[in-house]
Amino acid sequence: MSDMLWHAHCLYLEIQINNKKAMDKENTDIFIKKREILIGRFLSGDEPEFLEKHSSVLDEYFFTIFEKSISSRKLTIAGTPFAIIALGGYGRKEQCIHSDIDLLLLFEKEVPPEVEAFLQELLYPLWDAGFEVGYAVRNVNECLEMAFERFDILTTMLDARFICGASLIYSGFMERFRSDLATKHLKHTLNYLYEHGEKRHFDFGDSTYLIAPDLKSGFGGLRDYHTLLWYAKIKSGIKTRRDLEYYGFLSNFEYLSLTESLNDIWKIRNFLHSITKRKCDTLYFEYQTELAGLLGYRSKNRAPDVERFLGDLHKRMDFLKQINQIAFEDILESTRIGKGTSEFRTTKIDGLVIKKGRLYFTNTVAVLQKPDLLLKVFLESGLRKIPLAIETRRIVSEFLHLVDDKIKKDIACIKIFKKIMSQSYWEFNVLNVMLATGILEKLIPEFSAIVSKIQYNHYHLFPVDKHSIRCVQIINSFKNHRGSATKSLYYSVFKEVRNKNILFFSALLHDIGKSDPAKEHSKTGAKTAKPIFERFGFNATEVNDAVFLIGNHLILIKTATRRDISDEETAIYMAHKIGKIRLLRMLYLLTVADSQATGPKAWNEWTENLLKDLFLKTMGVFRKGELASKKNQRLIDKRKKIVLDLLKEKWSEDKINKQLESMPQRYLANVSGQSIVSHINLYTNLKGKDFIWQVSEENDPDIRTISICGKDKPGFYSKIAGVFFLNNLDIIASQAYSYGEEHVIDIFKVKPPKDRIFEKEKWEKAQKDLVHAINDDHFLDNALDKIPRELQVSSGKNPKPNTVRIDNETSSFFTIIEVFTYDFPGLLFSITNALYRTNTNVDVAMVATKVDQVVDIFYVKSLVNDAKIENEHELTLIKKAILKSLPHITAKEMNNEKS
Amino acid sequence: MKKVEAIIKPFKLDDVKEALSEIGIFGMTVTEVNGYGRQKGHKEIYRGAEYVVDFVPKIKVEIVVSDERLDEAVETVRNAANSGKIGDGKIFVSPVEQVIRVRTGETGIDAL
Repeated sequence: MSDMLWHAHCLYLEIQINNKKAMDKENTDIFIKKREILIGRFLSGDEPEFLEKHSSVLDEYFFTIFEKSISSRKLTIAGTPFAIIALGGYGRKEQCIHSDIDLLLLFEKEVPPEVEAFLQELLYPLWDAGFEVGYAVRNVNECLEMAFERFDILTTMLDARFICGASLIYSGFMERFRSDLATKHLKHTLNYLYEHGEKRHFDFGDSTYLIAPDLKSGFGGLRDYHTLLWYAKIKSGIKTRRDLEYYGFLSNFEYLSLTESLNDIWKIRNFLHSITKRKCDTLYFEYQTELAGLLGYRSKNRAPDVERFLGDLHKRMDFLKQINQIAFEDILESTRIGKGTSEFRTTKIDGLVIKKGRLYFTNTVAVLQKPDLLLKVFLESGLRKIPLAIETRRIVSEFLHLVDDKIKKDIACIKIFKKIMSQSYWEFNVLNVMLATGILEKLIPEFSAIVSKIQYNHYHLFPVDKHSIRCVQIINSFKNHRGSATKSLYYSVFKEVRNKNILFFSALLHDIGKSDPAKEHSKTGAKTAKPIFERFGFNATEVNDAVFLIGNHLILIKTATRRDISDEETAIYMAHKIGKIRLLRMLYLLTVADSQATGPKAWNEWTENLLKDLFLKTMGVFRKGELASKKNQRLIDKRKKIVLDLLKEKWSEDKINKQLESMPQRYLANVSGQSIVSHINLYTNLKGKDFIWQVSEENDPDIRTISICGKDKPGFYSKIAGVFFLNNLDIIASQAYSYGEEHVIDIFKVKPPKDRIFEKEKWEKAQKDLVHAINDDHFLDNALDKIPRELQVSSGKNPKPNTVRIDNETSSFFTIIEVFTYDFPGLLFSITNALYRTNTNVDVAMVATKVDQVVDIFYVKSLVNDAKIENEHELTLIKKAILKSLPHITAKEMNNEKS
Repeated sequence: MKKVEAIIKPFKLDDVKEALSEIGIFGMTVTEVNGYGRQKGHKEIYRGAEYVVDFVPKIKVEIVVSDERLDEAVETVRNAANSGKIGDGKIFVSPVEQVIRVRTGETGIDAL
């Protein structure tokens, strides 16, 4: 070829290529323009068939490129024709604005390398324009192989649709695909479909009520519909959605509802794509307001009405969930051996029959004659875990007027309703069906106020009605033992709840006051719920329990998160407030269920631990009895009143109450009102000093009471005991209490000095000694040496040996140490010093001598971490130290008496 | 600039928040955390079964302040979180190299 010719040829080629490029550009521009107009029409509400038309615009584009392409013609001429096939959503003609465009180029045999040139023509302009196009180039055999190897490929193949090219290759492939599926892979595929669906629900959770519902993959999302469609395609080879009804997968009613729901969800999805400008299928919190406005949800003041928008969406997604249930039931049924016959099977209930795994009324006349069937059908459904046929649901909805006052008051019917309550589980919650059919509201008209009531915030994931039903469902889950240690706690607490009906009903109605705008929903709820419980025939005690539970359903969680639960007073306060063990149990389970049903912001391991801790500690207070008892509480209230009366001239009531609140219940229960006042005076006069004390003479001239208020320093109690010993003052009894956050009150009953003339001087010396002892940790070491090492007792031949008992179960807050020994001078000092030297702090002491045998009880905590001592080794050391501090006990010689 | 991380008792959060806003510190990050220091976990017994609370639930409050305000901020947190008991928590202070406000691109103290 000459140079000139060569140049001419090159020029020709260049023009050709440029022409081609210009043409491609033109095609793409036309496509983009058409698509934009279509989207514009859709967004302004003028395009009801957007999805289908959107798919068609795409089809047209691919068709044009294919027609005009030289490389595609070359491929055909070279004997390697191919088909262009739409897959997935595009294949179903359900192409949303920013959804991926999935394509398959299918060849009969080997894929020729020349296909590359065509792909460039076909796809590059789209990629350049920012479209997400996924493609695969395969031959028939590869395709079949992969479809049965990978489930995601199989499902896209189910939706395959021919666009252009060699249609015979497409139809040939589809024929083989369908026949292979039906003959070799049916069972496996159905199993896969089922398992995949379960996994998806596990991964995504119940999407309808999440703050950000996933319109595609979540429970109640479009996938639920896809699953039914795929199943129908696998099972009966149906081609389009319309066939779902024609082939009997759905009733006409169901099909129409499905179309309606899909149209709404697609519309929302397209708007979501449009405002996010990308393939976004999660309805994030921040888009919800804008979308509500765009979709025409507006309140009276024209502001977007998000709560109504979400309420409607939830209804739609609820329907898709039902569709999913139908698909799943069918899949299960068809994979089971024996298969469901289309014959009716009878049930034990006259008037109810089962067909293909659904519950039916035998006929509508039966319902008219026996309206209680309207309730029985739900119990049967719950017990046998067989869903109501959609027809059955419709009948229930249409015959609601039969649920009249007579039925509502009928004892047998109420009993059925109570039973239904205990049959509501996660996988199969019959209460939701009762809600959907309207019968729940018919039975409890007050429930209407909270139906579809959405609380638009990050905290509440569910509308109030669904939340309440979830609560009942979660309580039912406590019947299940498996799982973590905490789960087994719920299990054992649940088992101990005697009146489970009260718990279930309280769970269902705990938020019944939520419609109250005053935000006092617990109080309002208790008021609203009372007549409901009375109507259902609960007795007075039961009604009171329920009213208490509903009125106080937040106190446990509030206290657990807002009060210091490591403080015994919190648990005692809780025990007083709740009053009865049975109420505490129910309240605990209700709180757990309520929090779990609210969402992850309200429930996580962190809150679970706090709540569990508070429950166990409050339970501990109840078990110990004395502090939580009504009698004790009355005594304390009486004392508080005395203190108020005695102080009211000097102090304001507020100030006195505040002071009283800082005192432990145990102290208030054990100390007289008069003494409490004198301790308050001591405390007021303390003013920065280490301690202050007061000696008072009791009725008995041989006893003095020394009340000491001081800063809570380690060893303080032991040092007081030591100082008395040092000054030869016999301690008869003593009590120690913590007082406020940083102080202690110690009360000693002591025998006065024998020499009464200088009694005052004696006390003064003791007081000085205490100052020394506080400042010098070894000041009392000499006194320690004076403690006897041997002790002879005269109580029978065999005196009981010294015993130290450690009780770590009675209290959640303290280790309780009980010391049994015989009285000797310096006894208290000896023991408490041993405790102090083993890093143990005495918080409460009850020391009393009876004759010469003594039982001293100490409530102690570790000085290291201010908590109960649980380390076995440490406990052994403490025990040993106490025993070592006690003298060896021997019996007095009694031989003389004998002889 | 300094980062102040305070691990406090859950029920003290409101006090700390309030005290900080009183001295003009409003922004903070609050996290629910579990942990233990000297105040170890403990066990409870219910119906003979032991329930171990391994970790103690705590709240972590994080704030970033200018160097000049550090002492004041730390003191404020400490006072508010203090109940005089073990388990009241700890405060960690560490240097912060840079702060950038995402929206405006402001840096340093302006971005606080």
